[in-house]
Amino acid sequence: MLLEVKGVIKKFGGLTAVQNVEYMQEARTICTIIGPNGAGKTTFFNILTGLYKPDGGTILFGGKNVVGLRPDQINAAGISRTFQNIRLFSSMTVLENIMVGMHSRLRINLVDTILRTPRFNQQEVTVRRKVGEVLDFVALSDKANEISRNLPYGDQRRLEIGRALASDPKLILLDEPTAGMNPQESVEAMALFRRVRDELGITVLLIEHDMRVVMGISDRITVLDYGQKIAEGSPDEVRRQPRVIEAYLGRGSKTDAL
Amino acid sequence: MSVLSVPPLPTNARRSGAIPALLAVIVFIAAMFAVLITMDNGLTFAPLWTSLAFPALAISPFLVLRLQVSGKVKAFLVLIILLVLMPVLGIRDNFYFTLATQIGIFAAMALGLNIVVGFAGLLDLGYVAFFAVGAYLWGIFTSQTDNFIKVAGLTAPAWMFYLFLFGAVGVAALAGILLGLPVLRLRGDYLAIVTLGFGEMVRILFKNLDHPINITNGTSGLDGLASPPIPQFVFDATDQAVKAFHLDVTNSQVLTYQIFFYLLVLALCGLAIGVAGRLDNSPIGRAWTAIREDETAALAMGIPLVRMKLLAFAVGASFAGAMGVVFAAKFKSLTPDAFDFNQSIFILAIVIVGGMGSIRGVLLGAIVVSLLNLQILQSLSSVINNLKNQNVVIPVINFAFKDWPNQLAVENYQRFVFGLLLIVIVLFRPAGILPANRRKLELAERMGKEVPPLPPDLADVPPDPSLSQSGDGHAA
Amino acid sequence: MTFPMRAANWTWAYIVRPFSQIMLFVLGSAAVMSLIALVVTFLFRTPASRGATLNIDLFDQLLKQLPDTLVDGITIGFLYAVIALGYTMVYGVLKFINFAHSEIFMVGGVVGFEIMVRLRDGGLLSTFSPILLILLMIIGAMIVSGVLAVVIERFAYRPLRNAPRLVPLISAIGVSLLLQDSVRALEGLGRNQFNLAYPTDSVPFLTKRLPVGPNLTIGVTTIIIVIAAIVMVLGLNYFVNATKIGKGIRAVSQDQVTASLMGIDVNQMIAITFLVGGALGGAAGVLFGLKAGNISPFSGFIPGLKAFTAAVLGGIGNITGALLGGILLGLMEAFFSSLLPFFPSLGTSYTDIFAFAILILILIFRPTGLLGQHVDEKV
Repeated sequence: MLLEVKGVIKKFGGLTAVQNVEYMQEARTICTIIGPNGAGKTTFFNILTGLYKPDGGTILFGGKNVVGLRPDQINAAGISRTFQNIRLFSSMTVLENIMVGMHSRLRINLVDTILRTPRFNQQEVTVRRKVGEVLDFVALSDKANEISRNLPYGDQRRLEIGRALASDPKLILLDEPTAGMNPQESVEAMALFRRVRDELGITVLLIEHDMRVVMGISDRITVLDYGQKIAEGSPDEVRRQPRVIEAYLGRGSKTDAL
Repeated sequence: MSVLSVPPLPTNARRSGAIPALLAVIVFIAAMFAVLITMDNGLTFAPLWTSLAFPALAISPFLVLRLQVSGKVKAFLVLIILLVLMPVLGIRDNFYFTLATQIGIFAAMALGLNIVVGFAGLLDLGYVAFFAVGAYLWGIFTSQTDNFIKVAGLTAPAWMFYLFLFGAVGVAALAGILLGLPVLRLRGDYLAIVTLGFGEMVRILFKNLDHPINITNGTSGLDGLASPPIPQFVFDATDQAVKAFHLDVTNSQVLTYQIFFYLLVLALCGLAIGVAGRLDNSPIGRAWTAIREDETAALAMGIPLVRMKLLAFAVGASFAGAMGVVFAAKFKSLTPDAFDFNQSIFILAIVIVGGMGSIRGVLLGAIVVSLLNLQILQSLSSVINNLKNQNVVIPVINFAFKDWPNQLAVENYQRFVFGLLLIVIVLFRPAGILPANRRKLELAERMGKEVPPLPPDLADVPPDPSLSQSGDGHAA
Repeated sequence: MTFPMRAANWTWAYIVRPFSQIMLFVLGSAAVMSLIALVVTFLFRTPASRGATLNIDLFDQLLKQLPDTLVDGITIGFLYAVIALGYTMVYGVLKFINFAHSEIFMVGGVVGFEIMVRLRDGGLLSTFSPILLILLMIIGAMIVSGVLAVVIERFAYRPLRNAPRLVPLISAIGVSLLLQDSVRALEGLGRNQFNLAYPTDSVPFLTKRLPVGPNLTIGVTTIIIVIAAIVMVLGLNYFVNATKIGKGIRAVSQDQVTASLMGIDVNQMIAITFLVGGALGGAAGVLFGLKAGNISPFSGFIPGLKAFTAAVLGGIGNITGALLGGILLGLMEAFFSSLLPFFPSLGTSYTDIFAFAILILILIFRPTGLLGQHVDEKV
């Protein structure tokens, strides 16, 4: 079990955003968290990545408790993420964005940097090679020197994923990665996620709203509503559960829209 | 790609435009130099011409760098300007040596502040404190005033200058870390005010450390500081050169020191440029840019915020500390009030006017702002005085320069000029005169929006109060 | 509080209640601080065994000076509070530190000076009752400073509203420098010097001191300062909480976009905020001039910084906080400087270091200040 989340609680003043959530994920799976807006999904991600400190609970990643670690430490431990509203370093090039993603894997030494020691130069070569690999993987090699802000939307999403992949994470959290994509782009994105799992062996956890993507790609789905887990299981199991339908469509609706 | 180079044009353009441009620049340089060499200081407007020609000459290396010719040619030209033309000017009138050395000191300091403000995006309004630390380090240990070191007979010998130069780097860096540790979690404008407070505290501290033990001699400052020793044969060589070229030089020893400090400062500037450039083009520099752009994303990508910010602070401080030692050794006396908030603003003005984050910009800014402060205003004042003495009257409005009030002595209104300069630059060219491309983009992006940013919804990442207590993490 | 309110209710809500709260707070903190200081110095009350430098009885000295210290502390506390109001209002609305506020404050002081001196030179001083004179000075200063603040906002800050916060701060620094030298030029031209001494001796009323206790006299100027400050705080409180404009300002400070969607002219509200904040700063300048006896183009810098400290101490963006912070800082400073002369190894300007140290400590340990308005940051 790569990720074991138990009893995690997060309150913001009077509001309990995440309530006693338990979540498990095996390595090399693609799982999705769904739920209506305000269900606490992104808060959950923020807790996992250390941007928020939970008010209670434990998070075991690869057997190690990561609660209380800073976000950069969690990145170094192997969890990487993208953001719901793309947060690229917009004035940096594609290349540079991905290079920054590698930061936690690099040896940062002031003396080496100033003196340009062989160790430093060797690392720069390694960096560029690795970045080249990532660029190939997300199909952005031809745009390496573009300023990231000038990229079309779909490319920006892929770049953000590439940046998250640069640190060789064991677990990657994608926050609504297909938001704003047309059906064709969504299909391509799904293929990319599968490749991440199959070719790179990285575990993927998504927040998603697009049900085609969710149903098409998930090994398991977890449903949150009002900060609580209300359902979990394989896509087929989840789509049938009345509580889930109710959460999305309101009481008294019977539909198999999901 | 070297920090100072410009991407080449396609070869056709290069060939067709290059040679004429090169010739034009050479002619320009020669012309400015000629003006300065032949200027008769008795002329009414002489100060004005020299205060235009000298900056022009000082800026000419930038023009050279923009040429589309081989690097060797460019380097050769720049070296001629710096190592031949300038010294000749200086020998003729050692005011130019003083000027050039001052510019160099400020430039090196501004490069340091640029790392803090321009690379890492941290507004430090108390930067002068590190300069003071370096200067007082040398001052305390070599002054002839009776502070406790002198009284105890522990005065450092002058040859230790280079040791102290090295040591000041460390001491200032330490000061930077100590200063940075408590405050780096603070957000932009708070950080600015706190650093301002620190700067003032250091100044007041130095002003008051004359009892119970006299460390800094308080308000009167320290005097008679040592200059690094120069071997006798160098003095002899200068002497002989002065005689051989029939130069009009009164004191060849003073001249030797002036040349020495000029070259030292030039070398240190070069070092500063090199270090800054190498930092910029490295994982450290990229991390700083990331922090500047988006701290939260930088954190999520594994960048330890506090550590990187402290690094910026420490490196920036070390530049100032080193130049402090040089300053103290050159001017041989220190007073605490020289290291006040206005000095911090001065260096900041260089960085902002020149171009935050851009090494070339900062160098250009140093030249422009220093000359504004040191030469141009004075010259304007001199010209007005000359016009006064010659009873010149402007015809149409019948204004006699005699009537120019003494209180409006232009040279005293540096603050006014700076204030105006800052406002104008920030309103019309916030990225600076020679901005780094990146910075232009950042600012254009943020300032182009007319609509204020939408309030965050829950999907954004609102701040988490419980994190502000933890040591690292995003700004509170 | 809904409208219309009966007169009695109104008086209670906006005059009596806040006034008593202020009094309670001032006297309370004075009492608490005195207690703390007395206890601390009592504990350090050792015989000469402590060494040559401390054979003075701090406790005794403190006790003897206590009334003076308190009066001083409260006066300067109110002064800081009024200046701090300017900082805090602008910050509350724009999340921006108006660095030039210290110079707006200084300009007010200069205007007060000019009014007083011109009246004196015109031989008109005796025709005014002193209170009227003070009123004239304060109102004149308020008008000039208020308008100045609005003009500054319009030309140096508004174009930069969407820029990263560094940028308008630089502009503010530039404005600050510009004002310093402009005043220097104007006064230098007009009077051939710019260290302007308030001619308070020309108004005998202002030099009087009223005996208040066995060993204590309070200057008339002190009383004027305290009364003026309280009136201004009460006035501001009413303005912000009971008037429509005040409501508009509060709305804009909470959420600019929504406020404009509700039909509030955001630019106008911001301009009014600067007007009021600037006016308060100007008034404080006059009060400062009366207390310190003189004013110069550079008088604004340190008091401005200290007032900013006070604003942060109380919780920046919070009007009550400005008052709180001002009084507390004033009292702390007064106690500190009353004890300082007994440590000859420390010079008197250590009081300034003290204030800065407080600023730094607050920003490190409790950046939201005492009344912690949560400083939101878009993360």
